[in-house]
Amino acid sequence: MSKKIMLACAAGMSTSLLVTKMQKAAEEKGLNAEIFAVPVSEAIQNVEEKNVDVVLLGPQVRYMLHQFEQDLESKSIPVDVIPMTDYGMMDGMKVLSLAENLME
Amino acid sequence: MNDRIMQAVMGLIMYGGDAKSSAMEAIQFAKQFDFDQAEEKLKAANESLTLAHNAQTDMLIAEAQGEENTITLLMVHSQDHLMTSITFTDLAKEVIDLYKVMESK
Repeated sequence: MSKKIMLACAAGMSTSLLVTKMQKAAEEKGLNAEIFAVPVSEAIQNVEEKNVDVVLLGPQVRYMLHQFEQDLESKSIPVDVIPMTDYGMMDGMKVLSLAENLME
Repeated sequence: MNDRIMQAVMGLIMYGGDAKSSAMEAIQFAKQFDFDQAEEKLKAANESLTLAHNAQTDMLIAEAQGEENTITLLMVHSQDHLMTSITFTDLAKEVIDLYKVMESK
């Protein structure tokens, strides 16, 4: 079954770029994953509708981590913030590994 | 978009965004009347803003040197990040001051 990885940032715009890089990384790894980006305002709604396996936050919405942890705890969905350097370099492979580690 | 500009754009989003996160955390600490931590976070926000500002300067220099760059939506978006963060950090300072007044009452 394909894993669903959801990225969230302020407008879902800069994370969309990262999604493209992560999809490439997943392809190279032969990993079957559905990766998509949303604005934080629509994040929880998407979690419920799409049954995501892991949530990654852009560093610009780091301050919302606590709120996400609270909201996602009951659903046992892991959430973490993408490290700023990996984000800035748009390192799809590293961020994909982070998602994989969280899902384990 | 060339690499130099792309790096500047990501710098704006990354450091601008980081500044906003820090400023928000500063307010959250002030809310608990933990002003030492609040000031620390505010300082971090200002440091990130400086880095973001430097990234923007790189873009302006490139343009001044006659380097022509296509204006992309992502570029505009990165400017949006910077402006929001500057305003946010300025206001965070005011909000923290308000919490200080509340604590002293």
